[in-house]
Amino acid sequence: MASRDEIVSTVKEFLSEEFEVDKSTMEPEANLQETLDLDSLDYVDLVVVIEENFGFKVAGEDFVDVVTFNDFYALVEKKLAEK
Amino acid sequence: MLLSKEKTADIIPQKVPFVMIDSLTSVNEDSFISSFIVNKENIFFKNEKLQEPALIENIAQTVAAGFSYVGQQEGGEPKIGFIGAISKLKIHQLPSIGDEIITTVTQLHQFENIYLIKGKNYVGNSLLVECEMKIVVGV
Repeated sequence: MASRDEIVSTVKEFLSEEFEVDKSTMEPEANLQETLDLDSLDYVDLVVVIEENFGFKVAGEDFVDVVTFNDFYALVEKKLAEK
Repeated sequence: MLLSKEKTADIIPQKVPFVMIDSLTSVNEDSFISSFIVNKENIFFKNEKLQEPALIENIAQTVAAGFSYVGQQEGGEPKIGFIGAISKLKIHQLPSIGDEIITTVTQLHQFENIYLIKGKNYVGNSLLVECEMKIVVGV
């Protein structure tokens, strides 16, 4: 199973590429939606890159408690553990 | 054929002269297929070819017909979808008068009421246009 550091590194890599955002802006407590400038359509792209990189699907309810990047990393950790 | 030309026209929001599919021919869990014959009265027919906007609209209307059909089969109101975004668009060639366009739409991903689909239309084995679309389906 991937460590938190490995998850953070992978997430930063694909998010910076997909949403054209500098990795340095992805501070653990930064707001995910605001930092990546996500609108509702962009969440489909986020779902796609998550599945491509980690091999699991996410639904709308998975994002209910995701505000910061740390929340997002925790979601990925949880989903990977459930695989 | 799954739906006649008349019934297909009834379940999509577009009206003549903007109707760019004739009939919905197949609906599966994650894919729809339609057919459309090119005629010279089409508003996008120019220089002896059906132009790109008609082919893109053809893909979108195949999605619309498919979702609407599924909605009806589930006993609810027909679902209406809107194009949210078009990406990875490739134009390969344009069809001529009398050609039958067969369009396939495959659902790639879904997030809430937003669907990412892959659309391709063909005449015979010749690929005309391919693209991905994000479709926002009304609930």
